[in-house]
Amino acid sequence: MRNDSDIAVISTAYLPSVRRNELTETEMLITVVDEALDKVGLKRSDIGFSCQGSCDYISGGTFSFVPNLDAMGAWPPIHESHVEMDGAWALYEAWVRMRHGDVEIAVAMGSGKSSTGDPAEIHPLELDPYYLAPLGVDPVSLAALQARQLIDTGKSSERELAEIAARSRRAAADNPRQQVRSAESDVDKLLAEPYVRSPLRRSDLPPISDGASCVVMATARRARDLVERPAWIAGLDHRSEVHNPALRDLTDSPSTRLAAEKAGGVAGVEVAELMAPFTAQEVVLRQALGLGDDVLVNPSGGALTGNPLMSTGLVRIAEAAEQIIAGGRNRTLGHATSGPLLQQNLVCVLEGDI
Amino acid sequence: MSTQTSQTIQFPYKRTLGPVIGRFFSELTALRIVGIRCGDRVVVPPMEYDPQTGEQLAEHYVEVGPAGTVVSWTWVPEPGPHHPLDRPFAYALVKLDGADTNLLHVLDTGGEDTVSTGMRVAPRWRAEPVGRIDDIEAFVPGETPEGPTAGEPADVRTMEFFSTITYTDVLSPTLERYAASMRAGVITGQRCPRCDRVFLGRGYCSVDALRLGPEHEEALPDHGVVSNYTIVTPTPYPGQKETEPFARASVVLHGDEMVVSQQQIIGVPVADIRVGMRVKAQWFPEAERNAAEISSKGWGTVAGFIEGWVPTGEPDEPAEQFMDRVF
Repeated sequence: MRNDSDIAVISTAYLPSVRRNELTETEMLITVVDEALDKVGLKRSDIGFSCQGSCDYISGGTFSFVPNLDAMGAWPPIHESHVEMDGAWALYEAWVRMRHGDVEIAVAMGSGKSSTGDPAEIHPLELDPYYLAPLGVDPVSLAALQARQLIDTGKSSERELAEIAARSRRAAADNPRQQVRSAESDVDKLLAEPYVRSPLRRSDLPPISDGASCVVMATARRARDLVERPAWIAGLDHRSEVHNPALRDLTDSPSTRLAAEKAGGVAGVEVAELMAPFTAQEVVLRQALGLGDDVLVNPSGGALTGNPLMSTGLVRIAEAAEQIIAGGRNRTLGHATSGPLLQQNLVCVLEGDI
Repeated sequence: MSTQTSQTIQFPYKRTLGPVIGRFFSELTALRIVGIRCGDRVVVPPMEYDPQTGEQLAEHYVEVGPAGTVVSWTWVPEPGPHHPLDRPFAYALVKLDGADTNLLHVLDTGGEDTVSTGMRVAPRWRAEPVGRIDDIEAFVPGETPEGPTAGEPADVRTMEFFSTITYTDVLSPTLERYAASMRAGVITGQRCPRCDRVFLGRGYCSVDALRLGPEHEEALPDHGVVSNYTIVTPTPYPGQKETEPFARASVVLHGDEMVVSQQQIIGVPVADIRVGMRVKAQWFPEAERNAAEISSKGWGTVAGFIEGWVPTGEPDEPAEQFMDRVF
């Protein structure tokens, strides 16, 4: 039985992840909001609260989220908010807002266009400005330091990383919204490719992507009228660790483990959509979560095959929710990460009616 | 053909360091590396707080290294402009002798085949340390530091960090058409079929969140009325080119709802600008018009095409009718 105050994901939409989307971020957002609302017969005027996730540093414009607000049609005035985070955290804020009890339908969005800049130039600026940013350490180099530690401590191997890449690419081949869809997926051939940053090869890295996503939530009072099989949010939590990756054990993710515990645990989870833009991070997340071999991981193809920053995490939750809404599963998990090398982690556990 | 616009944003940061990071950097100028005691551990580089619990740490510093052991590494075969060395190098996590955490830094070994987990390394110091993390140019193989003779530590309290990012924008189809019409000297707007408002180079209605396309476009007059203005007395800051008081005005295009904001009024002293004043666009010569100011991050702009607005000399419109058209 559900309480009236229980909250469910009732609709999702996201644009195909592409190397460059010619639309502006606002136009991309209008498109996904239209699609997600149309699926359940809602209008913008039905929305009680909306929250967007995007990043000025990625788009290269001060207050770039202000025009993005036009995607909601902000007249007459609306209740809205913005997080300088992946849209998964926008969903978290919208969920918290709904728990006040006076909002029945809320929308979370995420959008980003990495195509306009060079990640190796932008991302060092998100690092500790005293100890790390002056060293110019790019995201791929950071991920490689984590991967080597994982391999050196016996928690993974280059072959396992290649197997993750291969599995993700095969999954993406069936998902027209993923970007890396026809790439090599033979493990031995991947292992024969050169390093980009040893021990990582091209197949261990995500593409540079543009994209946007939208997730619609409703309370139990409305959810059942709008969709046959709502994806109930059984638990949602996010946790953070110290910023400087060198001060952490990079082969573990205690913040993911704690967030999952607080969100109700992984028991019974059939499908997990993990935001692991680098292969080695999937290993860290699976081990931290304690996922068994019977759990299907990233059937969408995952962040490895489409990584529109600020939207990637919300897409994981959308995919986990669709596994219930359209896929008939009973319990799934969506994960999002933010900050260098899995600094912050969010876990959303979803359930269907049995 | 698509139009690319490029912009470089620069951040000339100057940061205060606080007592703990300030002490670490001060010690670097005397070629010493210190950590901070955190329970029974030594945290390097030192933090003001316990990395696990967030509790403030007492300022109990411990000298560590200078040699240490490589815990993890990766090879950068083709360094880019933002990397610290201009030849192939490694990033590494180094556990300095006496430390319980790792320091992320740079290894200069000459080749990838000379790097391995567990190898011993020592710092190569910059010739004249200034109190920055890159006073250690790189770690090099072996136990012996390289560099100048140690002197007295400087009292380092701030750190300058200059960063620069270049963004390249490819104009959206809407902005591409808008830029083409502006190059031809025609202001083209998009009229929302639902609310009848007109927008410049946007691709959608900001009120109705409706996508707008070529079928919604129409030529707008390039003359109008000042509906609002402000006079700015410039103060110097990076990027400020104005030296004398200048005006920024909103112009309502004639017969239309469109307000073009942040406009220059040309050919009249700023003290003479009035709400209700009739003005017309002064276009740049066609060869000089450019789309450099147009980006997909905001709304359409006339900057780069229209230099400013010149009073026509016709009688003013009543100021009262622009009270709700200020922006």
